Amino acid sequence: MTALDTLATREDQISPGISACVGCNVELTLRTVLKVLGPNTILAIPPGCMGGVGVVGWDKMSGAKVPVFFPLLDNSASMLAGIRLGLKARGREANVVAFAGDGATVDAGFQALSGAAERGDKIIYICYDNEGYMNTGYQRSSSTSKGSWTSTTPVSKEGSGGKPQHRKDFPLIMAMHDLPYVATASPAYIPDLVKKVERAMEVKEGLAYIHIYNPCLTGWGIKSDDSIAISRLSVQSRFFPLWEAHGRRLQFTVRVPKPVPVADYVRRIGKFRHLDEARIAELQAITDERYSFLEAMDRMGGGANAPGA
Amino acid sequence: MSKEYIGPVGEGLYAVRTGDWRTRRPLMDQKTCRRCGICLMYCPVNAISRGADEAYSIGLEYCKGCGVCAAECPAKAIAMEKEGAK
Amino acid sequence: MSRVDVLNGNLAAAHAARLSRPEVIAAYPITPQTPVVEYLTQFHADGSLPCQMSEVESEHSAMSILTGASLTGVRCYTATSSQGLALMYEPYFRASTLRLPIVMNIVNREMISPQTVWGGPQDSMTLRDAGWLQIYVEDNQEILDTTIQAFKVAESAEVLLPINVCYDGFYLSHMTERVEIPSQEEVDAFLPPYRSRHIILDPETPMAVDPLTNGRLLMEYRRKHMAAQQAALVAIEKADAEYARRFGRSWGGVIDEYRTEDAEYLMVSLGSVCGALRECIDDARARGVRVGLLKIRSLRPFPRARVIEALAGKKGFGVIDRNVSFGTNTGILFQEIRAALYSAGSRYPAASFIGGLGGEDLTLEIVAGAIKSTIETVDAGKIDNEASWLVRPERKA
Repeated sequence: MTALDTLATREDQISPGISACVGCNVELTLRTVLKVLGPNTILAIPPGCMGGVGVVGWDKMSGAKVPVFFPLLDNSASMLAGIRLGLKARGREANVVAFAGDGATVDAGFQALSGAAERGDKIIYICYDNEGYMNTGYQRSSSTSKGSWTSTTPVSKEGSGGKPQHRKDFPLIMAMHDLPYVATASPAYIPDLVKKVERAMEVKEGLAYIHIYNPCLTGWGIKSDDSIAISRLSVQSRFFPLWEAHGRRLQFTVRVPKPVPVADYVRRIGKFRHLDEARIAELQAITDERYSFLEAMDRMGGGANAPGA
Repeated sequence: MSKEYIGPVGEGLYAVRTGDWRTRRPLMDQKTCRRCGICLMYCPVNAISRGADEAYSIGLEYCKGCGVCAAECPAKAIAMEKEGAK
Repeated sequence: MSRVDVLNGNLAAAHAARLSRPEVIAAYPITPQTPVVEYLTQFHADGSLPCQMSEVESEHSAMSILTGASLTGVRCYTATSSQGLALMYEPYFRASTLRLPIVMNIVNREMISPQTVWGGPQDSMTLRDAGWLQIYVEDNQEILDTTIQAFKVAESAEVLLPINVCYDGFYLSHMTERVEIPSQEEVDAFLPPYRSRHIILDPETPMAVDPLTNGRLLMEYRRKHMAAQQAALVAIEKADAEYARRFGRSWGGVIDEYRTEDAEYLMVSLGSVCGALRECIDDARARGVRVGLLKIRSLRPFPRARVIEALAGKKGFGVIDRNVSFGTNTGILFQEIRAALYSAGSRYPAASFIGGLGGEDLTLEIVAGAIKSTIETVDAGKIDNEASWLVRPERKA
């Protein structure tokens, strides 16, 4: 079945009306992921955008057709680990899934996630990374890019400031837990995302992790029409490469032989408006260095000629 | 399950009528449409459906008017028009 | 048939957990609770505890795993102490507000700073308002019996709240006593399996757990939660009575009384120090002093009515607190007793003592001194607004 057929025929598991911003590509990502996962799913939505817009519902009503709940900001993975154990005790099988922002994943939720990954708890953990705490007005996270304006890394009138550190390479950190499946994904590459969710569902033992890079329209200063175009540029500039790994065997899933300059990506985003050429060049250098590292891993993993590539 | 809950539980789907937010409306030209389905795959609110005849149509009840479908359509078959303009 | 063995408190707790057939256990070791985790993992390895078990990376995850597991409707157990309890505060509070009947032994240990690993119920008593039921016990047999009963109380339809059975670190956790271990068949007959009917994460009956909730509705949940705490007063006594019928041992329910019938003075406390109090009360009685013991077993729910009843007609009382209530000049239990009596319109002379913090020994001599001091305070008609500190005289080298 093609990704299009899957998405055209499967039932949407999320309420048709949630209060995500106009054009939000996280809403797109969530609906896509849940269509692939299907109704036999228990869904964790920790505090963050998707919780805030009503995916867990309001008062006595739900925001999803599947069982859904709010974990705490920092315990999505451990609550899901418990749900898996409870299902095992009852002899039941279901997809046990987190759909969590970067705050709930790379910051406050990291300990629980790393613990679950090491123990091999059978859960699917999906991080939608929009580079910060967006539903509270965009405060920095450890996934925020270097130089980025956030409400807690402000920019002076002269244009200095922004976040001093670059984002940690979280999907690689997860891959170094030797997981059965780790992947990065983008809302601009939906067929690639669909395939990756399907692969995560095929995992028999252990934790599957998918890290999705979601440019935030409201927080980053992007027109809604450009939601997907900017996401595509993040991949085409090699700023956020798309790959998957089984254990340490990593391979690119979208190859970018002729990247566009990082400047072409950065220049279209409001939160980077204050960056001068030198600071953009710095982002280009970081991007190149990280990409070379991945290329080396991709070569070790068999590269484009590897079976299954 | 009893309906008198002792703990914080929700049942039944709560849906915000997000179609009311729209300031622009997507209009699809079926003649230009190449039936590629990209609009369906990238519509954030899942407002686009595929009919039995393989034709695509946009439901306006929840469409927020973001313009992603128009921007992504490779055939330029979707135009965004101001709401209220006839 | 039950059998008799010599057990430390941690092993008594582990046997109780095993016999209660939990379906999911997640626990993180911490002194003085550590042996509980070791015993349970050994039972599991030996096949006598056929449950899902998770060796977690922290207490926060231990309670989070149990919250998740309990939301699938299965029976859950864990144990912790002190800093571990503090680390799990976030999911701890939430387990109660989600009305999940998790059972957790707390092996009471003093809170740091200063750095300490020794006993004292400051850890759990500080969390008395987090919505859990909390029962404090005095010896190892009571640990075993009460932990089994705890599942019955927590899971009863009118309660549905998580419960702590708290026992003193080292004094009970690492000391051995004669303990009668009931057979699996006997416990099975007392404790039927648990399946959640009130809240569940299950694709067959999809629901949202914890939607964003307005204050009015939240208050409705809180009101029901408070009513469930009151219902637990009855459930604890019922479980104790049924247990007594089946196993021949009653622990008194929400309180226990010793030589109180004709007493003029009552000493009030909880936990293992009640053992020393019983000895000292016997000594005082031998000298013609009419003193008795009121042992608080259930701190939450607080057994207001039975406390009022137990004190009716007495001259006054003294409370030994192995904890502090910062900002009130006394211990927590003293505050609780005073508050309960106020609602009865009673005004008893009362003495407040703080001692035995950080594992410091409450010797018979010190406890006898507290009894003597209580009698002086009561006879003088005074009500302490500041605790007397029970300390051993410093030894000269």
